Formats: sequence, structure tokens, C-alpha cells
Amino acid sequence: MGTKFIKTICPYCGTGCGLIIKVEDGVAVATYPDREHPVSRGSLCVKGWSAHEFIHHPDRLTSPLLRKGDVFQEIPWDEAIPMAVDKLRETAVKYGGDAVGGLSSAKCTNEENYLFQKLMRMAFKTNNVDHCARLCHAPTTVAMAQTLGSGAMTNSISDLAGAECLLVIGSNAAESHPIIMGEIYKAVDRGATLIVVDPRKTAVVQNAKIHLPINPGTDIPLLCGMMRHIIDEGLYDKEFVKARTEGFEELNEFISAWTVEKASGECGINPELIKLVAETYAKAKESAIVYCMGITQHACGTANVLAICDLAMLCGHVGKEYSGIYPLRGQNNVQGACDMGALPNVYPGYQGVSDPAIRDKFQKAWGVELSDKPGLTVTEIIGSAGKDIRAVYIMAENPALSDPDVNHVLESLKALDFLIVHDIFLTETARFAHLVFPGSCFAEKSGTFTNTERRFQLLRKAIDPPGNAKEDFTILCLLGSALGLDFSYNHPGEVMEEIASLVPAYGGVCFDRLEREGLQWPCPDSDHSGTQYLHKDRFTRGRGLFVTPEYTPPKELPDDDYPYYLSTGRMFAHYHTGTMTRRSPFLNREAEEAYAEINPEDAVHLDVKDGEKIKITTRRGSIITTARITKRVSKGSVFAPFHFAEARANMLTNPVLDPLSKIPEFKVCAADVRKESQDD
Amino acid sequence: MGVLESRTQIIVREVKMNQPGILVFACKWCGLIGADAAGKKRVSLPARFRVISVECAALVETDAILRALAGGIDGVAVLGCHIGGCRYTNANHASIKRFELLKDLLDTTGIGGKRLLLSFGTAHEYHQFEEIIKNFFDELAVLPPLDPWLSPFGVVS
Amino acid sequence: MLEKTKNIAKQILEEKKADGVLGLMKSRWDIVQPHVFEKPGELDALVLEPKWLLAKLFMSILRSYPEDYRLAVICRGCDERALIELTKRNQIEKETLLTIGIACSQEQAAICLCDRPYPVKLDAGEIASGADPFQDERVREFLIGNDKKRMEKWANVLKRCIKCYGCRNSCPICVCEPCKLEDDVWVQRGAVPAEMITFHLIRAFHLSDTCVACGACQEACPVNIPLLYLQLSMRKTLKEKYGYEAGLDPERKSPILSDFFKEPETGREYPEWINSLRGKDGY
Repeated sequence: MGTKFIKTICPYCGTGCGLIIKVEDGVAVATYPDREHPVSRGSLCVKGWSAHEFIHHPDRLTSPLLRKGDVFQEIPWDEAIPMAVDKLRETAVKYGGDAVGGLSSAKCTNEENYLFQKLMRMAFKTNNVDHCARLCHAPTTVAMAQTLGSGAMTNSISDLAGAECLLVIGSNAAESHPIIMGEIYKAVDRGATLIVVDPRKTAVVQNAKIHLPINPGTDIPLLCGMMRHIIDEGLYDKEFVKARTEGFEELNEFISAWTVEKASGECGINPELIKLVAETYAKAKESAIVYCMGITQHACGTANVLAICDLAMLCGHVGKEYSGIYPLRGQNNVQGACDMGALPNVYPGYQGVSDPAIRDKFQKAWGVELSDKPGLTVTEIIGSAGKDIRAVYIMAENPALSDPDVNHVLESLKALDFLIVHDIFLTETARFAHLVFPGSCFAEKSGTFTNTERRFQLLRKAIDPPGNAKEDFTILCLLGSALGLDFSYNHPGEVMEEIASLVPAYGGVCFDRLEREGLQWPCPDSDHSGTQYLHKDRFTRGRGLFVTPEYTPPKELPDDDYPYYLSTGRMFAHYHTGTMTRRSPFLNREAEEAYAEINPEDAVHLDVKDGEKIKITTRRGSIITTARITKRVSKGSVFAPFHFAEARANMLTNPVLDPLSKIPEFKVCAADVRKESQDD
Repeated sequence: MGVLESRTQIIVREVKMNQPGILVFACKWCGLIGADAAGKKRVSLPARFRVISVECAALVETDAILRALAGGIDGVAVLGCHIGGCRYTNANHASIKRFELLKDLLDTTGIGGKRLLLSFGTAHEYHQFEEIIKNFFDELAVLPPLDPWLSPFGVVS
Repeated sequence: MLEKTKNIAKQILEEKKADGVLGLMKSRWDIVQPHVFEKPGELDALVLEPKWLLAKLFMSILRSYPEDYRLAVICRGCDERALIELTKRNQIEKETLLTIGIACSQEQAAICLCDRPYPVKLDAGEIASGADPFQDERVREFLIGNDKKRMEKWANVLKRCIKCYGCRNSCPICVCEPCKLEDDVWVQRGAVPAEMITFHLIRAFHLSDTCVACGACQEACPVNIPLLYLQLSMRKTLKEKYGYEAGLDPERKSPILSDFFKEPETGREYPEWINSLRGKDGY
């Protein structure tokens, strides 16, 4: 009869929980948790339980579209693909291959990401491929590659339950990674100390033992102050530092300037509390640092991550079963997209494009000559649209909502000669496209996702894409073949075989093995059962390197004209730009309209009541949104979730970039808040 | 749904305006008589309580009691008719059993079943009413406060 | 027990007593998931572990299939009790209930704190003696002892709630549409943690006389809130006062729905506090 149960992986956050989709007569009707899944073990968060709701929404794109003026016309595939090929080739011929850019997708599978970057690199001899990791964990990949040699979570999610001290910095895991929060609570139940560093009183803070409400953007002073105290009291792991690391002398000298008093002055935390937290972290047998956007989305984001790595190495809390560094990756496959080389400076497996030997290997494998010049990042591609970049192919990304300084983004998108957007809904970005490809969602494809703990997990196809939409894998193969490349893959499994042959760390990964269980890379051969934690006897680069974290305060602090701190972030019911969640009735019910959190004292001062409209203005633009009065934000701060297209929080954010990883400073800028009069 | 909503709105309004210590649901056939009589006799009672009249004690939703406790009220009293005396043919029987079970739940969580006072058939004289309410206040005064549980209703805390 | 269950199920399909059997299937890749077996040959892949509650799935599958489709289900003790409760509440037709009852092992009963780890209609497996939840240490911490400390303990653990609705979604008894927890008169929208009293206690009380203590709520909770413990003392009261256990007798309705005079045997006495001025608890 018609009911089938298909096991697959959740499309929302980087935890990668197991789902069972119930399919009735080709329609996905319900989602259940998977009791056997090693990470989620029978639980799901509210987004996971609603994962099926958006799949059959009437807004789904069912046909390729061509834009004429403001109207989108349906055209058949055999017109759309050749048109795309012609236009892209035309641009490459006229302006050179580097005038073409590609935004790959952290939501699409590993195989699709691999094909995307292969297509861009082979067909246009350019490295202008990037994706939204640039906006979230680019500092992690850069900083951890520098200090440890590998930019991924050092341990597994389940290791968190074994830690004695958990230092959660800049992460609201209770709302963005709820299942991971469950593991943290398991540790707390066993007596662990939960310390949370966050300017806001989030749900995690309400359950923490110690809360450090630092001034926005002052993580480095706090961490350096802690390290100084740990070194002064001799609490650091001397043997570990001597045997496994290098660069301690430079770090020690750098830290000597960061006295606890100086740190306290910068971050606004009582010196005694800094000392207590430092001692708790250092003395615990197993300590874990969990961090997320609050650390990375700053103009000194890379330096922030460096400070975290330094602290962990200093106390020897890395390379063991429970202690480690846990960056919580956002998207379901952002780890995978990075692993598959959808980045401007590396090939799959983080092998550098400028390295001649590596380039040679890929040239031989793919059979064409490749560029050795690192390409442009997401913000640079959009930023130079109309100038250096003339044509862009965007796959399942929504920069019109997720990039900073949205007004500038919209202007740039308009300035492109040719824009293809490949997505499942007509997103705000797709409205600027010349050509739209209808893709497939997670339930309509086979492939793999890699979750934040480096685990390759297999997706199983439950239903077919609607109408004339095709699987993303199929579209990339059609496009690649039309561009003259040998993209004659029958099945994503073949793509994975190719990947395994080119990247030593993924050598043992194949679909047959993944049918049984996920595999955590490095998994070099078919006998290897995956790696639970990294850096066991040696770091990936050999010895861990201490790198001094230079502190830069936030680039735009409140002043007389713009007296409030504005921070942006996530809330539990919606996911990122809301493309999927705002079309899910159960999730949308929780938060239907845009809002911003204001402190009750500020509300009194502004004469604003809960539910009234306010206008938030920054030097980039302004939005009108609904006020939510809460004590979660401190006086003088405003927090706006960025999920809502009608009040884009990123209209306001500062596009200043971290120089090393090019991530924008989403977390801090200066804003003015006024009550919006009711007559509008 | 209509009765339910109006009951809840009443409680919400009460909580927001006056923060009473005790909320009394009085069945209009007996309990309310005692309450009215106490008022007429100008009996001296602590001011922090409100009385809501209901057609029958069985109409009082347990959810409403929980909503009241969440909103900051210290105790809830339900006054109904004695066994065999319910105007609506024994509706009070099921409600007695129901509220006893609710006391169990309140005891489990440490909130305390003592915060729910049940009086069926013993509150229709003014002195009975007076004594019940006074005793209730005394009992509530020694119970530990409910603060860790409450988020002010309507405001994200 | 597995072989016996397989044979019974195969017989049911072969003799056309049912069109399908709902159970757990182990695929060729060693993955376990629910499955509706329709051919006897498929049943070779049947497994009984891990504990996976099928009562709610049974109901939702029956709803979407044609009316004359007969579905059998492999159920443990708690499953069967949940199904019986659903028949009492008119969610399933009693005639359509066709169960293959299996018993849980003593280890499983100890994990679930279950004192009746077997269905009434038992077809395969040995009856284990079960475990008394009130002897468990963690239960005693939450249920017995100083009021103030326990209130803080409960408050601390309920503060973790991330409003996933997993407890409600996985509970076999939670079938109300519309569900009160989705009504913002009772539960505020968009707030995490979910309001402790109104979300959890309203749900706990709605289940007071129907909860079969299957533990699905606890297992679905990502943050380890011991939701099952909320129900335990209410179940105990019902058992001691009225001799009632949810899901055991398909003919007996819950005692709190009836009046004292009509309840059989034990429910007939009304409590003495009724006529005392001091009310219950002596005041």
C-alpha cells in the first residue's frame, strides 16, 4: 500500500539528526525521530519535527524560469540549459574566466558541492567559488588550520556529555543547536559546570552556573585575561605545552600585557570572576569549549578563534576523548561544502589551489588545466558585481537576506550581466535572476551531508521533485555536460568514489558503508571506522602552534547619533533566511512577524510597549519592526533575528570584514531606535 | 470554547491589575452565597483575594487553575456544593475527584497541593467562608514562594 | 520470542486475518525502522528491538488507509495499554484492534521503570517481574522529600525545555486536534524555555488518568527532562483509591469521569473531608 518510511537526515542545522519521513502515495506527510541515530537518539527539535512541512508548499518552483522585465516565464529545460551555457561562455570569452563567479550551497549535498566547484574550475578556469561559510565559520577554518592544522570540531558531539567544565562562548545552543544542548545538559546532570559567555541572557544562560555578560566583541580580552591568570598561577599543562606545541614564548610575552585588571576593564567582568572561570576551566580534568557565531562574526573573528585554540592548548584540553574545541557549524552541510572545496583557495580536502603539486594532481584527475590564482569570496563576488564579476551562478543561497549591508547587495545583483539562481523557492535573491533553475530539497535526493562532528551521513530519496524540477545533482550534470565536461555520472555514489580517490582523508568513504552508519573523517581506507576525536598523539600539523590573537574592538561602537548596540542572530523557530521555515505552518506559528528585542528600561525611555512598531536605523539603512520587550537583552542593546524578509536585519549590519577570513561583523554595530508612529 | 476563554481572560485581567493572593471560584448555588453573606456582614478579611462566580464547580478548568498559579497567584480555592446537592446532577463528584488528582500533581512538583483548597458544601454560611479564607491565608504564608517557576505572564523573561 | 512472533505474524497474513502487520524491520544494511509488512516473506526481516512505540503510528496509518484495510500491530505492554486507551476515547474502533503481544525483558523493564512489562494479550515472550518506579533513586529525588528543594529541582530541569513539542508528538495518547498547547491563550508563542507551569503541567494533567507510563515523552525529550515522573503519583493515587490502571480494562472508563455512586466497588465511598469545615488537608 502507499505508506513508506524513509530514513534520512535533517536539512536544518549542523547537528545532522536522523529523521524518518513518512511518505503516503508520493507525499511526505510526517516526520518522526530515529531512535537508532548516534547523535539524536530519538529526539528532535521543533524544526526537525516540522521538516516535512515545506516540501509540498505551493510556492515550490516546478519549472525553469526566464525573466523578462519583472515577469518570470516558464521555459523548458532544453531551452534553459543551452541559454545558461551560452551566456556564461559569452561572459568568460569577453571578460575572462575570472569574471564568472559561483556561490555554492551549504544546504546541498557533498556530491553536489563537489560537482559545483569542479564545474566552475574546469569550465571557466577560475577559483571564484565560495559559499555561506564565509558568513559564519570562515574564521574557524582559517584559525584552526593555522593553530592545529585542521579546521573542524576536534571531538564528537557525544563527547560533550563527558566534560567536567563546559565553556560556552557566543553560542545560543538551546535555540540553534538544541540536540547538542541536550548533550551539554547530560554533562551538567553528571555534575559538570556550565559557564556561559554572552552579552545576552539567552536560554542557555538561564541554565548556566556562571554567566559572564561581556561587553559586545570583547572576547579576546576575556580569554587573554584568563590565560594570563592561568600562566601566573602555573595552572597550565606544562608537559603538554612542552611536548606538543610550539610558540609558547611568544604567546607568554604577548599575554603578559593582558593583566586580569586590564581584561576586566575592557570586557566589563569582575576580575575575581575572570579568575574563577579561568581556574575552573584549567583545573577540570576534561574541559570543552563550545563556540558559535558570537565568536566568529566579528572584525576580529579569526583572532577570537585563535584565542580559543590557544587557551585549549595551554591547558592541554584538546586531543583527548572529552576535552576539545567544539565549533558548532550552522548549516546542515556547511562542513561538507567546505570539505568538498567549495572555497576560493582550496580544492576538495583543503588542498591548496596555489600548491603546484596539488594542482598537478587535480589537473591530471580532471583532465584540464586549472587556475592557480585563489579566487574571490562571497562578499567580494557580490561586492565586485558589475565590475570584475559579470556573471554569477548561485546555487541554493540567499545573499539578498544573509549578506551584510543588504542595500548594497541588491544594487550589486542588479548590476550583473547574467545571474542564474538555482533554488527550490523563488527567494528574494532569485527575483534578480535572469534564469532560474528549480532544484530539489533534501527528501528528493540521494547524497551525503557532513555534520558538524565531521560525520558523513547518507540521505535517502523519499519522493520525487515536483513538476519539472530536477534533482540538483542532475541539473549540475546536465549543465556540466552541456559545457563540454565529462559529467556522465549515473548516481551520486559515483561522485563519492571520485572524491574518495582524490582526498586521502575521505579514502574509506563510500555509499555502501554509509548505508550502515555514518563515518567521521579522517577515514583513510575501507578498514578504518572513522575518527571520534582528532589530534590524539599529534596535531594535524605536527605540533600545535600558539598564535598571538591581536585584539581589535568592534569597528562601529555606539555614539551620540547611534547610541544602541545592535546585534543580529537566530531564534529557535526559524532557520536563517526563513525560506523553508516561513513556509512551515507549525514553525511560522511561533513567530509570524519580524521583531526585535528591547530592554524594558529602554522601552520606557522610548515610550514603546510590547507589540508596537519601532524603527531601527544604522548608517546603512533602516527597518521597521515589532518591539518585543524582554530582559534578555541588556540596557542599551537591541537584538534582531535575521529570519524575516520584510524587516531585513542585514539591511543594518556593518559590511566591514575580518582581514584574515573576510567574515563580516554581523554581531556588533551602532543603531538608533525610535518609536514608529502609528499613522504609517 | 467561549466559556473557557472568558474565564481565562478574567483571570489574566485580575492578575495584571491587582495581583490577588488568592483566587476563589465559587459555585453560585452555595459557595457564592457564603462569600456574598460575608461581604454583607462586612466581615474583616485580608484584601488580597478575588472571587469568580461559576455556575458549577465542575466548570472550573484545571488549566485555569494552573494558569492562575503561573500568573502569580499564591493559592486557588474552589467552593462547590455538597455531595448529593449539586444542581446539575452530581457534576461535583467528578470534579472533586479531578481536583484531588490535581493536588497530587501539584504535590509532585513541589508546588504543593496545599495551594489548592477544596470546599464542597462547607462554605455557604458567612462564618464558614470567613474561616476558610483566613485559614487558607495562614497556610499559604508558610509555604515556600513560587518564584523560580514563574515568568511574568505576557513578557518573555 | 522473535521466531514465535514471526510465525504468528506470517500466519496472520497467510490466513488473511489482516492485510498488513506493523512492526520493526531490519533492512539489509542493518538499519531498523517501522514497516508495514504485507507479504509473509518480508517478515524474515522482522526485529523486536529497540523499544519503539508503534501505537501512534498504528492510528495514523489506519486513518490514511482505506476503511476496509485491516492492520495488525506488534505491541509491548505499554503499546497495548495505549491502544486500549485510544479505543476508549473513540480514536480507534475496538474491532479493528488486532495485536501480537510481546513481553519486555527484565532489563528493559528496569530501564523503563515499568511494573507491568507485558500486554494482557500475550503471544510471545516470558513475563518479567517488572520494576517499581518508586524504588528508583532518581525518581525518589524528584518525588519524595523536602518540598522546597524538590520545587527547585523541578524548576531547574523544566527550565531547559526548548519547546520541541517532542513529548506531545510522541505521546500515543496526545491526539487532540486542536491541541491546547498550540493555543496562545495558554502557552505563549515564540518563547523559549516554554512556560513551565502552563506547558508541562497542563499537558501532564490532561494525561492524568490516561497516561500508560510508556516513557515515550522522556525518550523524545532532547534535554532529559524526566517527564514520566510527573505522572507517577497520579497513577499511584488512581490505583490505590479506585483500583484503576489506565489501559488495562477496555470496558472501564476513567473514574474521574463518573460520580461516586455509579463507580464500581472501590470508588463508592466519598472522602470524609467533604463534610468537614476544614476541607481537605485539615483547614
